[in-house]
Amino acid sequence: MNIDLDFSTIYTFMFSLVSWLLWAVGRVLGFIGIDEGSFFYPIKQFLVDPQFVTFVSYLLVAVIYFVFVFLFAGLTVIWMERKLLGRFMDRRGTQVGVLGLFQNFADGIKTLLKEIIIPRDADQKVYTWAVVLIIATSAMLMGLVPWDDEFYAVNVPLALLLGLAVFSLAPFAILIGGWASNNKYTVIGGMRAAAQLIAYEVPMLLVVVSLVVMTGSLNFVEIVNWQNDNIILLVPLAIGALTFFVAGIAEVERVPFDLPEAEAELVEGWQTEYGGFRWGLIMLCDYIRAYIVCALFAILFLGGWLGPEPIPGAVWLLLKTFFLFFMMVWVRAAMVRIRTDQILKIGWRRLLPLAVINLVVVVLIKVYSVGGW
Amino acid sequence: MAEEVKKRTTYRSRKELKPRLYIGDPMVAVFRTLVRTTINRPNTILYPWEKLIMPDCFRGRPGIRLEKCIECKKCVKICPNQCIQMVPIDHPTLGKVNRPQVYVARCMMCGYCAEVCPTNAMMVTPEFELAAYTRSDLMFDPFKLQYEHKPGYEVHSPMITPSELKAGKTESHDKGDMAIKDTVELDPKKCISCQRCAKTCPVGAITMADTGEVNPKTNKPVKRPVFDNNKCVSCEQCVEVCPKSCLSMKEAM
Ligand code: SF4
Ligand code: SF4
Ligand code: SF4
Repeated sequence: MNIDLDFSTIYTFMFSLVSWLLWAVGRVLGFIGIDEGSFFYPIKQFLVDPQFVTFVSYLLVAVIYFVFVFLFAGLTVIWMERKLLGRFMDRRGTQVGVLGLFQNFADGIKTLLKEIIIPRDADQKVYTWAVVLIIATSAMLMGLVPWDDEFYAVNVPLALLLGLAVFSLAPFAILIGGWASNNKYTVIGGMRAAAQLIAYEVPMLLVVVSLVVMTGSLNFVEIVNWQNDNIILLVPLAIGALTFFVAGIAEVERVPFDLPEAEAELVEGWQTEYGGFRWGLIMLCDYIRAYIVCALFAILFLGGWLGPEPIPGAVWLLLKTFFLFFMMVWVRAAMVRIRTDQILKIGWRRLLPLAVINLVVVVLIKVYSVGGW
Repeated sequence: MAEEVKKRTTYRSRKELKPRLYIGDPMVAVFRTLVRTTINRPNTILYPWEKLIMPDCFRGRPGIRLEKCIECKKCVKICPNQCIQMVPIDHPTLGKVNRPQVYVARCMMCGYCAEVCPTNAMMVTPEFELAAYTRSDLMFDPFKLQYEHKPGYEVHSPMITPSELKAGKTESHDKGDMAIKDTVELDPKKCISCQRCAKTCPVGAITMADTGEVNPKTNKPVKRPVFDNNKCVSCEQCVEVCPKSCLSMKEAM
């Protein structure tokens, strides 16, 4: 089904809006006497340049997209987690506003209004840029994950690989963020985070390799199309799906693999020294990443936006994603956290062999059932 | 069963800790909670809108009936947190009197003041929502402390001793019972007939009675206080006020 709200529409609208605005600006400039021959004429020329108009409209679309996505995906997911955790724990979750929907906005405003404190001896630049790195990578990932086969920000041929590459920038940002805060706890937290995230990167990539072998593509749209033509990948790749899910939970630092954050043991983990809106953004990015992992899982193993007709594809993807996030919340409500050595042991000694087995299974299927390469 | 429990050491063996214990059981348990709380409702009480029904014996902040108070200061003495003070007030009908004021911020709502009050002037109220913006708001002066009396707000503490129970006694003592009341004792040798105790006694339980003797120095008749134990409320005011320390409380139990 076609969705009216696709990006070309928004873009066209933005383009006309921007060109109209700039045209108006040009008129005003002409009115106050800046015209051909004037000293400021190049500025007017620059403003009405079609390339500039295109650039501005792209920028506007990007801003709208990210604000929409951060608000929609991030806040819904946070709200879901709060509400569901409440029910899981026999209490109520948030209660502000209708169904507690406004609590997130209240918290956002609260963190926004807090003073930004940078520790005196911190490495200021790295301290600041680590946050930017995390936010930027999350935003980039958000742009990579499509909503529908016609509703996406970008559609690069190697999207899956690029996505995982961007994902694996997180340990770097966390490590330098923890180091730059100039606090022993944050350094230890950062190191633990790096160890954990790198340990779980490997099985995740191996599962992706099996996906490539199976579908012959690294593009989300093609992978989903392959599933449309053949079979939902969860069925042949059940082991891989499990591995991916567990590794995904670890990658986004959620219970039981939440050592990087480690509220209880390491004060607040690597983000101890971050405060105010930076901390808020880091938390938001945590949830955005959780959302992305769920969306990736839904696209890779559950057929993405495939589903019966009357409901649009993007909604199907959202439903699947939310279901997976529900699973994550469930795990969070039920599990106890585990130690560093156990985390690494599970990563290297359980998930890695599982991923390899999954790969073997895929190769066997490919060779015997589909008739070889 | 008990044997088995005894045999267990502090640590569980590794075999006992199957993955089921970490993953399966908790997952099932929380899911059951989710279903239950979704179908019914969570265990939370939405406090400002919903409130628990107070039990009959609930003891909130103390309240007072100004007319019944006899200024005996028993409440001041008993309060474990020392939050009661006697303050002078100007009452339209009672005139200038002293009445207790309570610093509710410090009150732990033990209800001792109500329990000890011989006239049930002090009582417990069902009020427990006492939040205020300043500390001084929580200093309840006698007028603010006033509360409408309803049966049940006074505290009765029936008493019975173990020896009495053993002896087969079933009915217990109540407030004002002579058997449990401390009484005042006089050491007549020390008394100088100053009459201060008689003036202090809030219930007028002391009368100065002639002994028939005459003081050789002043040629005035010697008087000694006589205590009406039925009226006495054991407030120790007389003991405190006596300049020669000739009074003491004789404990009943
Ligand atoms: S209730 Fe207890 S703490 Fe409060 S004023 Fe009375 S005796 Fe003191
Ligand atoms: S114990 Fe009762 S009668 Fe005595 S001063 Fe206190 S309130 Fe008044
Ligand atoms: S006789 Fe003494 S203890 Fe008894 S009520 Fe009078 S002042 Fe209080």
